[in-house]
Amino acid sequence: MGLKIMQKAAFPGWVNRLCASCRVVGPKPLHGQYVFDDIGAAEELAIDYSTSVLPPKKYILPQREELLYFKGDQIEAVIEEASQPTVIMGVHTCDMHAIHFLDRVYEQGYTDQHYLARRENTILVSIECLRPCTESSFCKDMGTLSITEGFDLHLTDLGDEYAVDIGSEKGEALLDNLEEVSDPTSEDYQRVNRVIAEKWPRFHYKLDFDVTELPSLLTASANSDYWGELGDRCLACAMCTNVCPTCYCFNIVDEVDFSLNAGQRTRQWDSCQLDEFATVAGGHNFRETRAARQRHRFFRKGKYQWEAHGLIGCVGCGRCAEACLVHITPVDTFNQLNLRRRKATAEVK
Amino acid sequence: MSKPKIAFFDFTSCEGCQLTVIDALQTNIELLDVVEIVQFREAMSEKGEDYQIAFVEGSCTRPSDETRLKKIREQAAMVVALGACAHLGGVNAIRNRQELDDVRQYVYGDKAEWFETYPARPISAVIPVEAAIPGCPIDRDEFVMVVKQLLQGRSPVIPDQPLCVECKLKGNVCVYLRGKTCLGPITLGGCDAICPTYGDGCEGCRGLISKPNIESLKNALEEHGLSFEEAQAKMTMFLNYQMMELEKETAGNGK
Repeated sequence: MGLKIMQKAAFPGWVNRLCASCRVVGPKPLHGQYVFDDIGAAEELAIDYSTSVLPPKKYILPQREELLYFKGDQIEAVIEEASQPTVIMGVHTCDMHAIHFLDRVYEQGYTDQHYLARRENTILVSIECLRPCTESSFCKDMGTLSITEGFDLHLTDLGDEYAVDIGSEKGEALLDNLEEVSDPTSEDYQRVNRVIAEKWPRFHYKLDFDVTELPSLLTASANSDYWGELGDRCLACAMCTNVCPTCYCFNIVDEVDFSLNAGQRTRQWDSCQLDEFATVAGGHNFRETRAARQRHRFFRKGKYQWEAHGLIGCVGCGRCAEACLVHITPVDTFNQLNLRRRKATAEVK
Repeated sequence: MSKPKIAFFDFTSCEGCQLTVIDALQTNIELLDVVEIVQFREAMSEKGEDYQIAFVEGSCTRPSDETRLKKIREQAAMVVALGACAHLGGVNAIRNRQELDDVRQYVYGDKAEWFETYPARPISAVIPVEAAIPGCPIDRDEFVMVVKQLLQGRSPVIPDQPLCVECKLKGNVCVYLRGKTCLGPITLGGCDAICPTYGDGCEGCRGLISKPNIESLKNALEEHGLSFEEAQAKMTMFLNYQMMELEKETAGNGK
């Protein structure tokens, strides 16, 4: 919708103004890492953060949320009120791609009214990443190193100024009456292009093959020995899926009060890595081994989601790799499978 | 419907779990509308013997405990192990790896022969138990949840998930990234990850999940600077009884 230029000196004042009018969340430092949390004033915001423990997904799909209350036969659904919007500040482009992915999942088929109400009520202010955030990230391979749409506002750091790309009317409204925002000159456009061009070589490809080959690689690797090796190491702690910006599986739990006749239904994140996840009535578990569960996880990300939604389910943020205590990573896994497939093919020839 | 009668008993323990129950009653006073407490040494003088649900704190550490446990089992329709000692043998079971005579000598000195004692065991090793509320001490919210499930006629279910699940859902920075070690990946969650939330690694007080990957975690502990002895000590503080049972199983499989 158009580009604006904001003086960096005006950025804290702008954030403070937003804090006064709506809920603002964004990255904050915590024990050497960063977490998305409520921002009360601009100085709390660490806009130049690396990555966050949990992705900003939690504001649209909370870890735990009440779906309905019941009392006898009476049922009352809980839907997020749209009175006060939440502005998520500083969303990285990988997480923007992840939110786009979640939108597609929750809008398709039976639409999820709880998700959609929260999503409608969320304003996304994303930021261009100018350098890799962690050793484990591989956004360049996954094509998530930039975005062209889906944001309400998108910031690019130009040094003394931010280029602010306006992506929606909601985004434009956040800038209303801000004096320190001006229209860009032709020189500003060139600066933006230069900053983007210069950032590209700072990011490196980590996969030994092109990501478009990922679904077929997985198909060919269904019976690979590698899954068993991962299963031996895997702790089944579920950290990989719980820090993932595209994982969306949940469990539903009913709890009653002391009357035993009234209570609430909640949903909470669930994980395919947990032993009980695939246990069905009668006690049968159709993914009993850790190897089968790891394979399922990578198949979901690299193949099943592609087939179901037309998008790869991994955005290359690297959180799962950073979190894993036994160093199971998507890059190593995909490269190992690729290597073994090539070797097997060579042997046949 | 008359209220179910419940009773509390203690064996070798610090009675902290019963204190937690008293604490839970302060914030969940409605509990007293739905159950009748007939025996609770730590909270009342009356001693009713007519109870349906028995909550038992503490481990079995001497022959005379067995007689008392069996008597409770005969009376109660349901027996619930309350806390790590009853559930796992607790820290009392650390001694199971040591020479019993030395332990008695160390604790009781020249009066050692006055005290009968043997390896500490969870109460489920002596009598059948319908449910266990884990933890040192128990989690008060989980206690309330279990009582509600019992009142509904359901067997209490504590999800078979490691502590890492709720720790991550809370958005905690992993204590391994803060230069510490943690038994979270092999320990049953449900405590709201209270120790890592306050910056300490999990010590395993809630017991093992049903399929822990102990060998892989040992490698991770070693990578984070723990010697074999330190890792062993960490894994045998609350978990000694379970670890020794697993060792027996492995030894059995090897034959």
